[in-house]
Amino acid sequence: VPVPSRQAFPLPSLPRKQPTVLVVCGPAQNGAIGLVCARHLRIFDYEPTIFYPKRSPDPLYRDFTTQCEKMDIPFLSYLPTEVQLINDAYNAVVDAVLGAEAEAAEGREPCSAILATLKLLRIPIVSLDVPSGWDAEAGGSGGISPDVLVSLAAPKECARRFLGRQHFVAGRFLPYDVQKKFELNPPEYPGTECVVAL
Amino acid sequence: QEEAQAIDQELFTEYKFSVDQLMELAGLSCATAIAKAYPPSSFTTSRPTVLVVCGPGNNGGDGLVCARHLKMFGYEPTVYYPKRPSKPLFEGLTTQCQKMDIPFLSEFPAEAALIDELYGLVVDAIFGFSFTGAVREPFGSILGTLERITVPIASIDIPSGWDVEKGKADGLQPDMLISLTAPKKAALHFAGRYHFLGGRFVPPALQKKYALNLPPYPETDCVLQLS
Repeated sequence: VPVPSRQAFPLPSLPRKQPTVLVVCGPAQNGAIGLVCARHLRIFDYEPTIFYPKRSPDPLYRDFTTQCEKMDIPFLSYLPTEVQLINDAYNAVVDAVLGAEAEAAEGREPCSAILATLKLLRIPIVSLDVPSGWDAEAGGSGGISPDVLVSLAAPKECARRFLGRQHFVAGRFLPYDVQKKFELNPPEYPGTECVVAL
Repeated sequence: QEEAQAIDQELFTEYKFSVDQLMELAGLSCATAIAKAYPPSSFTTSRPTVLVVCGPGNNGGDGLVCARHLKMFGYEPTVYYPKRPSKPLFEGLTTQCQKMDIPFLSEFPAEAALIDELYGLVVDAIFGFSFTGAVREPFGSILGTLERITVPIASIDIPSGWDVEKGKADGLQPDMLISLTAPKKAALHFAGRYHFLGGRFVPPALQKKYALNLPPYPETDCVLQLS
């Protein structure tokens, strides 16, 4: 995920002087992927900041959090509702709030408040796997409109309704027999790239 | 060697990285470096076949990850893994390779000439930077055979059998070395064509603390060609 973020927003092209990126992480796997993404963005010389209000108790995800903290990636204690503050401080936002596995029953707060704020942003949003709040199959009307979508492993059904600038597939780890079994037909990755633009 | 071990220790105890995480990134770097230096089109064998020789420790684990990614990149790896630790990490990595139809040889090719015929490249994932002391069998014989092959060898982190700091003049002479995290002292004795740096996971603060002075990686690449 950090690789497509980088490809979509190469460092020299960022409008703000500091290559700041806000990574908003939800409570489950999608959020954990956001944590890993933030860490790699830092290695790539971006300046990520994380908002991770509902932290998973999963030991693996707790370790991801420690890795980010030890790398001096700041964790916000709250997300400003004043959208202009976010627009001014960051070049882009990574939406790692909800993934394809999100269920309607899962703690709506603070996710719905976060999503309401994200919807109003003017800076670009990069969504991981599924634009948060969208139904994984039907898509989202009235939901957030990301600029970039990074489908993990393979595009989900709702990706058909994606209208943003760039759609990447990332996660080059599916064995061929799994691809065949589920008739995934993923695009060819170029060379040793772990990301392909659709 | 001590410094490398100290950095590893900090990554695991302070930063809470898991061995799995770093091994995956390391193995991916190795496969990526190999693919850059030896693209499938460059192979003299009719298929891009690669023999990956995995030792009994973490270097072997790096080799298993590397083999899996080589398969994803379109190569045809075969693994020889005679001494397998009974730990879930290594068992998992082995299963992942097997499920991807990567064959595991039951015996090591007896002759150097046979390796030259069957494979276009050998990946040396036998011993890494923690290696000390004498080489135990079957690895002594394996290294003996590898010293006689003519196809290129790509060593992961340290050419196996070399002293980690001083090298080994009459030992393995690999064509490629992939230094993980930072080059070790032994790398000064490396005389092959390709030296790559891999394992792009060291936090900036650690790099400074140990004065690693690593040159910058290009963009989002996980490897850097040093020579």
